[in-house]
Amino acid sequence: MAVQIELFLQTLIAGILLGGLYALIGIGMTLIMGVMKIINLAHGELMMVAMYIAYWLFSLFHVDPYLSVFIAMPLLFFLGIGLQKYLINPVLKVDSILPENQVILTVGIGMVLANLATIFFTSNYRSTPVDYATKAFYLTDFWKGAPIELSLSWAWTFSFLIAVMITVMLWFFLTRTDTGKSIRATAQDLDAALLMGVNVGRMRVATFGIGCALVGAAGCLFIPIYYLFPALGGQFTLIAFVITILGGLGSTVGAIIGGIILGIFESMTATYIGMGWAPVGRFLIFVAALIFLPGGVASLLRQKKFGK
Amino acid sequence: MKRQWTFVLVVCLTVFIAGTVLAQEPRFSIPLPLTGSNAAFGEIEKNSYLIAMEEINAKGGIKGKKVVLEFEDSQGKPDVSRSIAEKLIDVKKQPVIFGEYSSACSKAMAALAEERKTPYLVVTGATDDITQQNYKYVFRMNPSNAYYASGMMSFLKEVVKPTSMAILYESSDFGTSGADEMVKQCDKLGIKVLIKEKYEKGAVDFKPILSKVKSARPDAIYMVSYVMDASLLMKQIKELRIDAKIFAGGAAGFAIPEFIQNAKDAAEYVITATLWSIQVAYPGAREFAEKYKSMHKNYPSYHGAEAYSALYVIKDVLERAKAWTPDEIRVALKATNMMTAFGPIKFDDKEGYTNQNFMDTLVMQVINGQHETIWPEKYASKKYVYPMPSWRDRK
Repeated sequence: MAVQIELFLQTLIAGILLGGLYALIGIGMTLIMGVMKIINLAHGELMMVAMYIAYWLFSLFHVDPYLSVFIAMPLLFFLGIGLQKYLINPVLKVDSILPENQVILTVGIGMVLANLATIFFTSNYRSTPVDYATKAFYLTDFWKGAPIELSLSWAWTFSFLIAVMITVMLWFFLTRTDTGKSIRATAQDLDAALLMGVNVGRMRVATFGIGCALVGAAGCLFIPIYYLFPALGGQFTLIAFVITILGGLGSTVGAIIGGIILGIFESMTATYIGMGWAPVGRFLIFVAALIFLPGGVASLLRQKKFGK
Repeated sequence: MKRQWTFVLVVCLTVFIAGTVLAQEPRFSIPLPLTGSNAAFGEIEKNSYLIAMEEINAKGGIKGKKVVLEFEDSQGKPDVSRSIAEKLIDVKKQPVIFGEYSSACSKAMAALAEERKTPYLVVTGATDDITQQNYKYVFRMNPSNAYYASGMMSFLKEVVKPTSMAILYESSDFGTSGADEMVKQCDKLGIKVLIKEKYEKGAVDFKPILSKVKSARPDAIYMVSYVMDASLLMKQIKELRIDAKIFAGGAAGFAIPEFIQNAKDAAEYVITATLWSIQVAYPGAREFAEKYKSMHKNYPSYHGAEAYSALYVIKDVLERAKAWTPDEIRVALKATNMMTAFGPIKFDDKEGYTNQNFMDTLVMQVINGQHETIWPEKYASKKYVYPMPSWRDRK
């Protein structure tokens, strides 16, 4: 019995930690989705760029990946602004056969980033072997007679806590500052926001920048616990996409909950069904969300008058 | 009279064509995954082929002609490597093809080679069935998966004597066949397989599945993974303090130095089956390893030795072949019996395999942050460490 409880709790811990990180990846895409009404399919590749920044800072200057968050976030913010201003905005203005050609553009941006990374950094696997990589807190260290043993990895815990901190800061930014409110206004009703004197164009640029900065932070938080190679983006774009749909397109609170649901669901699938099923489970959730909960978690929140 | 002229013309033409075929320099294109997630191995192999090419050319090439190698990027995708092979056979008229890294890609090329009656030398693809299909034109110089573990099994049987085992493997051709083979071997030795679980390559978090392994308390944990998954697995095993009697890796990811660089102290005492190591007593092995290191900073993995030796096999075959046509080359390949830096190469038909090279496999253990050969004891560079300390007692 104790063994079963230990297994369940350990799985739950793993799921929540993973979910917190997933949420941070998802929020960036959701924000962009909300304001621009496009899915940014270069999301994972932008994360890859941030991971390379963290990697090089670590291997050249011995900067801890967690400190790189503060360097990679602004860099990715400006990269995002640049992409929006000089690549996506011009495309928005062009009439084309396809209404969603900005989405296609983001696919292209992603491919270019991945291939540039292969050319400049080779396709070798990289990682930042930090000293605390395999350290963990153990329940039995704190409570000698514990009937079960649970462990909490240092790196995973730090990453999770920083992800939570960034999310809280983002929430304050969106609800308490003028710029934040303008971004939300743009997301809710573009025309109304325009009439109220919100500079919609600038908000778009800012949002893209913030979305990129968030996924940049996620990259720095992922590298101590994962590893890095140029082709890594696709898998995280997919995860962000699932979270965005699950959370309800454009809702930040929805994305946080969606991320944690996905994390716990994947961990539980791995323990109780089989790890090979985790990707299947991910898309089961995706399809189920589209069919049974088309508005995502956000629509549930709205019913309870809890969301925005 | 007219007929005679035609005859002469035909003879002239034949001689001319044959002449150009023979006079051409041996130019080979090698499909390898140079981008994508297997690119690290593709790179090692490419570097090794180039070292072999330089050595051969420095000593006068093949029959006095300089070898020229080109590389085609298959991205690790079977359909791409198949179309590359098609191009080599149909357009470039290459009389023998070799290369590719993963089992899935090698399998795709093998089927095509057999269809077009062009000999194909498999260099690293290890899944068993590549040489179990009675293909006449497919030769494999690396031992198949079933034989990867033979050295490891004798180590387990004689030293560790486990009664139960958990098997984790990646859901690829290579992982699946490695795991299935281990189950068969366990049945033979009377080891109970408690858990056999696959995972999707590139997973971030193995802790759920490892917690399950922990609660089953197996004596041994056997993993078939590529390098980054391998180091994540060991790191997370350390995090969860899973104390099995032995942690064993099925070659691939566990056998290369990057495993230790990434898993660091979590890699200590892990044993791995390997086909080759830099300290092994095959002629030219050490020299190749040192040369590789001086050029590319790291020691090569066994894939490097395979690729390096593959070109020597091709050289040997081309020198013995009566003509550089697919059929003559096939005959010469069949008669191969040589020693390389990778070990003895000889293609046999037995135990359901066709044109398969059978050779001894080694066991390595990570001791003080270094891979050391520990089994068979006659090739050992260090005495094995067993039993190993529990995670709690390690510093």
